Amino acid sequence: MDLRSNNLWNTAKKKYSIFMVLFVLFIICSLANPNFLTTSNLTNISRQLAVTTILAFGQTILIISGMLDLSQGSVLALSGVFAISAYKATGSLVVAVLVGIITGVVCNFINALMISTFKAPPFIATLAMLTMARGVALLYTKGQNILQLDKFVVFGQGSVGVIPIPIIFLVALAIVTWYILKHTRIGRSLYAVGGNEEASVASGINVHRVKYTAFIINGIFVGLAGVLFMSRVNAGLPNGAVGYEFTALTAAIIGGTSFSGGVGTATGTLAGAFIVGFLDNIMNLTSVDSYMQQIVRGAIIALAVIYDIQSKNRRTKSTLGRIEDKQNTKNKKAAVKK
Amino acid sequence: MKKKLISVLSMSLAITFLAACGTGTPKTSDSTSSGGSSSKGYKVAYIARAQSDSFAAWLANAVKDEAKKYPDIKLDVFDGQANDDTENSMIENAITNKYDLVIVQPNNGEAQRPYVEKVVKAGIHAITTNARISGIEGASSVDANPYEQAGVNARAALEQIPQNAKVVVLDGPSGNFHADERRKSWQKEFFEKRPDVKIVGEQIANWNKDEAMKYMEDWIQSNDKIDAVISMNDNMAAGALEVVKDNPKFKNMLAYGVDGTAEALLLIQEGRMTSTCMQSAYDLATKLLETSNKLLTGGEKQIDTDIGNPLVNKDNVQQYIDILKKSGAIK
Repeated sequence: MDLRSNNLWNTAKKKYSIFMVLFVLFIICSLANPNFLTTSNLTNISRQLAVTTILAFGQTILIISGMLDLSQGSVLALSGVFAISAYKATGSLVVAVLVGIITGVVCNFINALMISTFKAPPFIATLAMLTMARGVALLYTKGQNILQLDKFVVFGQGSVGVIPIPIIFLVALAIVTWYILKHTRIGRSLYAVGGNEEASVASGINVHRVKYTAFIINGIFVGLAGVLFMSRVNAGLPNGAVGYEFTALTAAIIGGTSFSGGVGTATGTLAGAFIVGFLDNIMNLTSVDSYMQQIVRGAIIALAVIYDIQSKNRRTKSTLGRIEDKQNTKNKKAAVKK
Repeated sequence: MKKKLISVLSMSLAITFLAACGTGTPKTSDSTSSGGSSSKGYKVAYIARAQSDSFAAWLANAVKDEAKKYPDIKLDVFDGQANDDTENSMIENAITNKYDLVIVQPNNGEAQRPYVEKVVKAGIHAITTNARISGIEGASSVDANPYEQAGVNARAALEQIPQNAKVVVLDGPSGNFHADERRKSWQKEFFEKRPDVKIVGEQIANWNKDEAMKYMEDWIQSNDKIDAVISMNDNMAAGALEVVKDNPKFKNMLAYGVDGTAEALLLIQEGRMTSTCMQSAYDLATKLLETSNKLLTGGEKQIDTDIGNPLVNKDNVQQYIDILKKSGAIK
């Protein structure tokens, strides 16, 4: 194999390995249990994954630009209970969704303010928001669930034709995330800021604006997820969705988004979410013990992170290798031919 | 930027200082007093397991309301934040701040035991509740019996669940006293007496509706028939029922829970849930304040008392709904 085709193979492996893993897992699950490969089960998995995958798209955008959001679960709960209250007060589904989104955006604007303007580390700033948003949700509801949601359940439980509404949201937001990252100026700036902030400043990118935009997009996603979540469970749960940010982070990391910033794709995250979803589903279908499931989930995260670091090391090595190549082209070619 | 930071920091310090001055004692939640804050009044600390747990929040609210009926009692509510360490520090703070009585709703009974013993040693009255920490000399307790709460359901289910039935079980958090006792009760009172019944799925859904929904969605994929959902609380039972609500295959599925939440009562009324056991926060609150009053004003040193464990099914659900309607929990 010459250098060029070797490089092509490496690029393809890097780019598509996550989809290969997903495909292999899909085959294994189909063989492990006959109920896995049924339309109703696959619809079921997608519906279950909708909320956490939408959150994972938010995390992907943030991680690419060198940040993260630990407050997603709490802000989701706050957006959800506010949306329900708005619906109960006005009877309008549109107002409810708007209130959910606005709540998500306001909380994330504060996140951006702490991180971009006041230079607080994202980990700590969003941890603070995690506590505050949950506190507001509990204070507002006095810790009690809101019941009797009436038509509000349509977002989480309704369908258009045979397609459940949460899946429509999931697909739409996947396309939006893909488009932003791949085809817009702000998308390219997100990668630039995450890859090297100082270089971005030097090249004239408005880093503040990029960071605020990333959080506001995340806020819209979290707000929508809040509406979907509460509507799906048919109750306003102020203590709901605890730890969902970690499921979202897991999906993004398994999907190849790198914690060092500047690397990640919408399709990768979608695949990452489905890998987690398939695993959870098959473990339940085959009645795997609760404790065992936790161990498996942990092991998958560990593997994904190790893979990320290893492949980065390989990338660094190959970059160094290419520099050497230029210096000793003749010798290198000879060595490869041998 | 430095100036901005300094101004933000000094503002937050000022707010904290003002808040501390305003409250007198450091606390995380409201305080309820009704004129009894004179030197003759009694200071009572209520340390809740977690204000984020919907039953614990309901109980804390009920205790606050009940305390208003006792003019000599000044009640402060603290939030243990579902964390043993936090809750233990709050118990120690209550000793330091010389409360006359400390009520502890433990996060994990054994973790709080030595701290409740410290309260007794300091000459302060102690009450443990929901769940009681038993066997502490000098500490009182007010509780419901979790074994019996599940037991009343399990004994009814002996007759109701059909022969060779397939059931699924939703458990509470592992290591939680109420979760473990309720599961133990189902084992002894039901599963050991009905070896024909098969458990086709059992998972820990951590008391949560959304987690229970996810498990139930997967279980109905792999099982054509599920005859009953056996849940250790109402939230999880409601989650399982949410999944099958429009599915005619599961129309006659039975479902059991514990707590008597508003949602469960409405489901029983609609005929979708079979039964629950009422763990009334109002009854617990009434007994807690009665006991506190007796300990503080009478000569009694230790009182151990239980609320009842009434089974709620379609025959008597209306009377409980009426109580919740009166309190405004259901419209």
